[in-house]
Amino acid sequence: MTVAQEPTPVGMPGIFGVAGDSKSKPDRPMLARDADAMYWMARYVERAEHVARLLLVNSNLLIDVGDLAPALQARQWQSLLTIFRTADLPDGPDLAQRVGQYLTFNLDNPNSILNCLTHARENARGIRENISSEMWENLNALYWSIRSDDTPNRFDDSPDDLFRSVMTGSMLFQGLTDQTLAHDQRWQFTQLAKYLERTDVTCRVIQTKYDILKSNEQIFDSTLRNLHWMAVLRSCCSIEAYRRQYLGDMDPTRVAGFLILERNFPRSIRFSVSGALAAISAIRASSRGNVIDPTERILGRLDAQLEYAELSEILTEGIPAYLQRIQTTVHEAAMAVQQSYFMH
Amino acid sequence: MGETREIGSRSMFENYEVDGLYDEVFSSDGRPRKHYSPLMHRLKALGKDAFEKRRRMTDILFRNQGITFTVYSDTRGVEKIFPFDLVPRIVPADEWDTIERGLVQRITALNLFCQDIYHGQRILREKIIPPDLIYGAKMFRREMFGVKVPRDIYIHICGTDLIRDKDGKYYVLEDNGRTPSGVSYVLENRSVMKRVFPSLFSAYRVRAIEDYPFNLLQCLKYIAPHHVDDAGIAILTPGIYNSAYFEHSFLARQMGVELVEGRDLVVDKGFLYMRTTAGMRRVDVLYRRVDDDFLDPLCFRPDSVLGVPGLMNAYRVGNLALANAVGTGVADDKAIYPFVPDMIKFYMGQEAILPNVPTYICARESDRKYVLEHLDELVVKSTNESGGYGMLMGHQATAEERQKFGEKIADDPRNFIAQPVVQLSQHPSLIEDHFEGRRVDLRPYIVYGQKVIVMPGGLTRVALRKGSLVVNSSQGGGSKDTWVLEED
Repeated sequence: MTVAQEPTPVGMPGIFGVAGDSKSKPDRPMLARDADAMYWMARYVERAEHVARLLLVNSNLLIDVGDLAPALQARQWQSLLTIFRTADLPDGPDLAQRVGQYLTFNLDNPNSILNCLTHARENARGIRENISSEMWENLNALYWSIRSDDTPNRFDDSPDDLFRSVMTGSMLFQGLTDQTLAHDQRWQFTQLAKYLERTDVTCRVIQTKYDILKSNEQIFDSTLRNLHWMAVLRSCCSIEAYRRQYLGDMDPTRVAGFLILERNFPRSIRFSVSGALAAISAIRASSRGNVIDPTERILGRLDAQLEYAELSEILTEGIPAYLQRIQTTVHEAAMAVQQSYFMH
Repeated sequence: MGETREIGSRSMFENYEVDGLYDEVFSSDGRPRKHYSPLMHRLKALGKDAFEKRRRMTDILFRNQGITFTVYSDTRGVEKIFPFDLVPRIVPADEWDTIERGLVQRITALNLFCQDIYHGQRILREKIIPPDLIYGAKMFRREMFGVKVPRDIYIHICGTDLIRDKDGKYYVLEDNGRTPSGVSYVLENRSVMKRVFPSLFSAYRVRAIEDYPFNLLQCLKYIAPHHVDDAGIAILTPGIYNSAYFEHSFLARQMGVELVEGRDLVVDKGFLYMRTTAGMRRVDVLYRRVDDDFLDPLCFRPDSVLGVPGLMNAYRVGNLALANAVGTGVADDKAIYPFVPDMIKFYMGQEAILPNVPTYICARESDRKYVLEHLDELVVKSTNESGGYGMLMGHQATAEERQKFGEKIADDPRNFIAQPVVQLSQHPSLIEDHFEGRRVDLRPYIVYGQKVIVMPGGLTRVALRKGSLVVNSSQGGGSKDTWVLEED
């Protein structure tokens, strides 16, 4: 039996581990399946955090506004379902309780906190060689804290505490990701996922709340309007940063503008798109050399738009429409990532 | 038990029974053996509550770190924590020395046997082993006949099960030379013990085991074909639903190698590649935790989705190294097991250092007759099952069960062997809030690369059900940390 000579390798052209000194060694590429899992792990953690924060802010908002007309209360809770693209709420009396349960525990709701953390953890379990043990242990502990038998009791006792623990758990996970993982391809996929998710949810939060406020303009007095916009900012973890810029002025245009275009704040859409672009560029550079890939093109164009956008143009087009376009683009980008890197 | 009432918290050892067995801790006069004295003194000083607190810490640690395994038949859930007993099993240096030499001798002979069986077959021609036992072995792979394997090593990783009988002697129960598992629990047990019970370690000089992943990696590098400098090494796993998945992932992390499934791999023009975000990357060495049968649908089971079509081609032309090699099941076949001392004699000219348990081979007429007449005294095992399945504990079975099993033997005698019941040694194990004796065995792990390295210690498995002699994890067993002491 003769040993065959190694043929030209199949697949994308690129760097193929040329023998040389370790300094010139390229990033060890991830298994396609691992990259897929890494991405979704990060995306689900970010999603869980958003769900928790929205539930927290929403319930606090309704305390603040006291006795609104029940229809409006209902509208508020419904908006949460809209934001997370879920519809089938089980029937029953107390709407607030039902929405809370549905978004926290319901196994039929793919975006419930429990499902998100379960998926995140399952993905993590399959790629433990790619994440740090600190990341795993904390995500695992977070999962078990939501999954344990006495969690429904904790929820009944103090839902706010539960939501806070999820938010803290997520931020801890993200901090550990940043600080215990080399900022190579693995880390880049988590950043890409996180920023795409953040962009998507932020768009939907502004869009949904904007719709509510628009259609109830005559009912809302300025106090109510202010409270609502404050709630929008809180939902995006942005109220303090906003106030530092614009003091207490809850002008809706300014708020929307801040959340969409603010250059420096990590929760803005502009910043998130920029972050996603940086991540995909790095991924592309480490795996494909100089061949621009479709995801990068999509995000690059969006980033440029946001970079040079003027608030007046956005207002002319209309905020909901503008945000819809961004969501569509983000969705296209996510599909492109799937095609380019995860198909296996 | 006299003296022992003073040792350990009084209530924890109160009704401890020894019952004519060999007890690892207590000698026949009821006092702890010399190497266990410091441990027993510490336990006494500790008391029940402190012990319980540590036990709870262990549970949390295991769960948080996800040190779990999956049991196939359990209906309650998929992932389980492998029960862990905090009291370590201690092996003094002189005892270990014999074990180590015996294991090195054994794995060397088994490798020589595999090499011989798939090439010259001298051992058959010299009539040491009847050929029909080899050709009738389910795990004998004709596909490997004449195939050159890297460095002529077949069994790179072996887990050999040792037991101690009433006489206090160690016997080899069986070798596991296909895809032995459990080493990750050994390493994690040690790590958990260090966190939960650090004070115990100060009373002893325990030999380190943490270099196992390093040794394994060196072995995998050693067998890289073409002796490439920067070999692509990966571990092949059936996936997260496999009962030993935790271990596959654990070892991949410890060695820094990729963990792949069949669907990540492809064979092209005689080479094996894995699909990455940067295209195809060559794999030179595969530590495969998938059985032979599932490795290559073009060669073995065509319905397997766990393997890679064409893998055997890459292997046979010499472009891929597999650890362990394909076909090693012929060496750990239970019907071949009785011949291992003969192998040691034949290939190495030596007497076996570690004895076998006396075994009756049902394929042999006279043995079969004896077995069928003495089913109530024997343990009968199917030659190719693992995990404690397919066994008959003759002395505990009902007459009907024995009758049925007798029929199975008559039907397919080649598939069965029988051994007298070995009264496995016992070790104090924590049952709720006190100690009881539970049967234990010992599985050390041996890595055969450029050097043969026996890990000092291994997995001490505990049969957690009272009176049970079955210690396999898939049947509800637990484990202990095993301490081999440094030479004094």
